[in-house]
Amino acid sequence: MHLDLRYPIGLLLTTYGAILAFEGAVSRATVLDLNVNLYWGAFMIVCGLGAIVLARRARKSQITNHKSEMT
Amino acid sequence: MHVAPVDILLIVIYCAFVLAIGFRLRRQMVGSSEFFMAGRSMPAWVAGVAFLSANLGAQEMIGMAASGAKYGILTSHFYWVGAIPAMAFVGVFMMPFYYGSRARSVPEYLKLRFDEKTRGFNALTFAGMTVFSSGISMYAMGALLALLLGWNIHASIVVSAAIVLVYISLGGLTSAIYNEVLQFFLIVFGFMPVAYLGLRDAGGWEGLAARVPDTFVHAWSNLGQADANPMGIEWFGMVMGLGFVLSFGYWCTDFLVVQRAMAADSMNAARRTPLIAAMPKMLFPFLVIVPGIAALGLTLHPAAGTAPLLPTLADGTYDYNMALPMMMSRYYPAGLLGLGLTALLASFMSGMAGNVTAFNTVWTFDIYQSYIRPGQSDAHYLWMGRMATLFGVLVSIATAYAAMRFNNIMDMLQLVFSFVNAPLFATFLLGMFWKRTTGHGAFAGLVAGTGAAAVHYELTGVAGTASLFPKLAIVHAYPSDMAQNFWGAIVAWTTCFVVTAGVSLLTAPKADSDLRGLVYGLAERPARSDAGWHQRPAVLAAVVLTLTLALNILFW
Repeated sequence: MHLDLRYPIGLLLTTYGAILAFEGAVSRATVLDLNVNLYWGAFMIVCGLGAIVLARRARKSQITNHKSEMT
Repeated sequence: MHVAPVDILLIVIYCAFVLAIGFRLRRQMVGSSEFFMAGRSMPAWVAGVAFLSANLGAQEMIGMAASGAKYGILTSHFYWVGAIPAMAFVGVFMMPFYYGSRARSVPEYLKLRFDEKTRGFNALTFAGMTVFSSGISMYAMGALLALLLGWNIHASIVVSAAIVLVYISLGGLTSAIYNEVLQFFLIVFGFMPVAYLGLRDAGGWEGLAARVPDTFVHAWSNLGQADANPMGIEWFGMVMGLGFVLSFGYWCTDFLVVQRAMAADSMNAARRTPLIAAMPKMLFPFLVIVPGIAALGLTLHPAAGTAPLLPTLADGTYDYNMALPMMMSRYYPAGLLGLGLTALLASFMSGMAGNVTAFNTVWTFDIYQSYIRPGQSDAHYLWMGRMATLFGVLVSIATAYAAMRFNNIMDMLQLVFSFVNAPLFATFLLGMFWKRTTGHGAFAGLVAGTGAAAVHYELTGVAGTASLFPKLAIVHAYPSDMAQNFWGAIVAWTTCFVVTAGVSLLTAPKADSDLRGLVYGLAERPARSDAGWHQRPAVLAAVVLTLTLALNILFW
């Protein structure tokens, strides 16, 4: 019945990460010799996708359990 | 601070997300249980993150960074002494009574345990404090955005309040909790780069330690004497005032946070909620206090080719409140700045939503249903909950405008907190663990404790500082506001404890049959679980306390 929160968390982090990475790739702005937008954006994409993968796995496992209960 | 279109885009996406969650949940709000208690259906990790996030208001983030700059790593006591032990205690010992009693709020637990007058006293003071606190937070956020970005303060206040109003009115506590989880991740991802970049610029921890006075990098070694550390407090006042009375008073009795645990889907989940919250909480000093210390270090000894970081006030002292904003301004380019500003907005909204959801529940159940319109339908109370949400937001806005006109209203809020929360913990401690405690004792103790806090305030002062209210006489001057607050809390708690115990011994207690599930010894012991260690509250608490002890030793 409830929303699996890992989906919106993953979606938000991935969206933000993509925007930051794009901004970093285009502007090439550096802070302390680091392209922080690019690196942090990439890290957020990885975390966001990780959350979505976890949510999908949980959903698949729920469906499998439900099917085995039905049979 | 210049805001680029990409920064605005990130803020707009965040607002769209929180509103979308409210709209997604609106069909599930079919009754008051769903609206006010999230149907008691939250998994432990969701309730745990929300438990922490509801406490992460904008004042917490900005204020703790400011304290880091002003007092150094001593500020970590607000986490490692002033939060984690209390969170472990409420999870292991108190949550069985809150959750097991099936009370819908903390004031309702007081009614079940004691009587109507004790519930009424707590409900009224709590409802007043929450909307007051929400308004002050709203003002602080609007003022910050106006100062940093030149945004219109009225528009900032109204737009932020409107977004919180919409998503809570649609999805109730569930929406608030879900958004708090989202906001938590934004806060972490938004502030983590500033901690890393500040520390890197200062030359790592060793480099930073060399830039600030020695007392700023030791948590305990300078607490032997009040005048040996920048906080002006000695270890006993710190441990008893902050670590016991104020900390336990807040984390164990404040419905704002306890409500999140009461929304968990089982007793075990409710007990684990504060313990799960304690894990990230113990690491928060690295996220907010370290940037504050770095801001001071880079002001006293700027990095090559840079100006001192902190601005100065008219009296020549540093404007510590600008520590976090100035760090963001220096290290965040367009894009990351948008993420940092979104994190600030998220911290404000999570704090405000926490206050508003706690207010609408206490207003509807403990004031409206109890004293104004009892016996109405569930749909009526659901409607009243939505009206209370609107009313709470409107009063918060009014308080925000009052704060603009009176610059001492924030000090008054701190004072009211210390008057109300400190004695309340004595009431709960006796009420939950001593069945002889009576309703008359609890009520008399609360009134006496609050009165003692007022008398202490009237008879003491802070050296070199003007007082908020006229004093009767000053019989003792503390070296700092913090020392005065901590000792005031100790006086209030002790008075409440003694008076409650004394009056209880002189009055008739409730029968044991009326106290089942409400008092230690008369409640079912939580079943011993065969689940893994991470699902056992006592084991989790031991892990949390051991790690916290290690952090204290590491920064001794």
